[in-house]
Amino acid sequence: MTPTPLLDVAGLETHFPVRKGLLRRQVGSVRAVDGVGFSIAKGRTLGLVGESGCGKTTVGRSVLRLVEPTAGTVRFDGADVRATHGADLRALRRRMQIVFQDPYGSLNPRMTVRAILEEGLVIHRLGTASERLARMRAALERTGLTASALERYPHEFSGGQRQRIAIARALVLEPDFLVLDEPVSALDVSIQAQVVNLLVELREQLGLTYLFISHDLSVVEYLSDEVAVMYLGRIVEHATADALYRAPLHPYTLALFSAVPTIDPARRRRRIVLSGDVPSPARPPAGCRFHPRCPLAETVCRSVDPPATVIDGHRVHCHVAARELDRGGTAAAAAARLAEMMAGAGADRLPAGAG
Amino acid sequence: MPLLDIRDLVTAFHTPAGRVPAVDGVSLAIGRGRTLGLVGESGCGKSVTAMSILRLVAAPGVIESGKILLDRDGQTSDLVSLPERDLERVRGGRIGMIFQEPMTSLNPVFTIGDQIAEAVRLHRDVTPALARARALEMLRLVRMADPERRLDEYPHQLSGGMRQRVMIAMALACEPDLVIADEPTTALDVTIQAQILELLGDLRRRLGTAILLITHDLGVVAETCDDVAVMYAGRIVEQAPADELFSNPRHPYTIGLLAARPTGRRSGPLATIPGMVPAPRDFPAGCRFHPRCGFARLPDCAAHAPALVEIAPGHLVRCPFSDALGAPRPSTAGSAP
Repeated sequence: MTPTPLLDVAGLETHFPVRKGLLRRQVGSVRAVDGVGFSIAKGRTLGLVGESGCGKTTVGRSVLRLVEPTAGTVRFDGADVRATHGADLRALRRRMQIVFQDPYGSLNPRMTVRAILEEGLVIHRLGTASERLARMRAALERTGLTASALERYPHEFSGGQRQRIAIARALVLEPDFLVLDEPVSALDVSIQAQVVNLLVELREQLGLTYLFISHDLSVVEYLSDEVAVMYLGRIVEHATADALYRAPLHPYTLALFSAVPTIDPARRRRRIVLSGDVPSPARPPAGCRFHPRCPLAETVCRSVDPPATVIDGHRVHCHVAARELDRGGTAAAAAARLAEMMAGAGADRLPAGAG
Repeated sequence: MPLLDIRDLVTAFHTPAGRVPAVDGVSLAIGRGRTLGLVGESGCGKSVTAMSILRLVAAPGVIESGKILLDRDGQTSDLVSLPERDLERVRGGRIGMIFQEPMTSLNPVFTIGDQIAEAVRLHRDVTPALARARALEMLRLVRMADPERRLDEYPHQLSGGMRQRVMIAMALACEPDLVIADEPTTALDVTIQAQILELLGDLRRRLGTAILLITHDLGVVAETCDDVAVMYAGRIVEQAPADELFSNPRHPYTIGLLAARPTGRRSGPLATIPGMVPAPRDFPAGCRFHPRCGFARLPDCAAHAPALVEIAPGHLVRCPFSDALGAPRPSTAGSAP
């Protein structure tokens, strides 16, 4: 879609072993990420959404190699991240930083803000003592804090301020790319808006590229250029934010969007209540992974893993959506037909407690 | 006579650092079969209000003053002064509770069936076999899949959504008049949340149970509640029927909260409420919202605590300047907390 992506991920798999018994023999694996691909152009934001256990957090960590992927390629600015070691890997990592969800758990309570910010500079051997101080002051000021924060401890700050410190810790290394893993989910609504505005400002001022991971569909829509929806270790749909929110094609995306409670009657969709729970990623269903909960599932969905169907850069993995797109007309018309079918199929189904 | 009528409730925590009035003069009423949403950000006192109703506030918290009047078949009891023995009959009998985290609210060493049956036998003189039959009936009522098998399972064998169904089954087992639900779907994924909200709405229609829903999620309130009360710093700042509150918010805090939520693609910075929620020990004098309020008129707002005034039938606002705030135009000036 774009000429030179800053980050390019293909066929990414990250499996965690399941061990049992005295000898801790491996008896299976949790396929947390199971064949994920996407790319992000410089200065752009990709939103990654999905429910707990879908693998979105593991994708973020695998890209930075905070967990080791099992297979696939991760290219950052042309360099093969998985094949890089030692000093080269350290140089790459300076440019790729992460901000975590929990501003209480991600800052060491025994370290001053100065020590927290300086740690990365020391590891990467950046600058003299006075240059480091200048960088730390600049990073704090960029995030709306002052240099007086340096000698204080995390507990002296509110949740919103701590998240600013976590962002400053990433910025002090002057990265190009940030993985933002639910950065505002733990914050109150009024504080959330402040941090969202800050992230937008930094993106514009510093030309940063974001992988924005969140379960909050409104925040993702607001911040992202493109959005990918994950379900059970796979991306099921990927499009520009405009296309995805206006005309979602995957039945899971449709159900997810319709489930979000909204205060605006004009934006309220007919709620599609899915039956059952998300299956375990240790035993993903055969065929389409969403078929046990999908109101539109057909025989083919139980056995054949749906390939990608692409229309105007909008990718969807669904047999039924593929057929609707095949019937011609615009993607928006197909999306409207799918939404109709979902509402019709959902009407006579009572939601059950478990699948 | 409403089902539950809370009048001027004050609940404070007496800590070594001093008295912390988490709930500071709250009045609320819930009619039979109605759903009232109590919303606010962390530390505003909404959960302490809920816990106060059943006198479940843990030490060093005490209810210092106020009345909590419960209508029991025409007889009114004040839960604040009710003897503990009588209150035990109200808890789980007349008033059921659902908490945010079902894993910590369920006992891990007893089966689902035993726990629901125990709730039944605490309030009804029935045989163990009848209590078990009632437990099965309740699991069917909350549409648990495969209820016979679930009866003999333990909480850890269930998913989060199923555990919340068990909590609802327990809360409803004795056919209470009121259910207090404290963030019942906050720990759940959005598709599971949709299942639970649908279930609660359906049960309310069929059983006529009143619900006090405590949440920080304005969307959940908009889609489930008849009436809404917004809390800030230990006090109710605005109360109205849900449609009225969302279409015509009049308190600057409510206006700010609604404007701070992103809707749609970015077309400019989000409106923010500057500063942060004050901790109960630093509640400001005068109007508690004035240091963060874009409309504050000084020195009036810093000097006088405004009263909660009815500006339209059923619409109460704690701001003397709410008339001027008819057309929401909240501040978009971002500033650090």
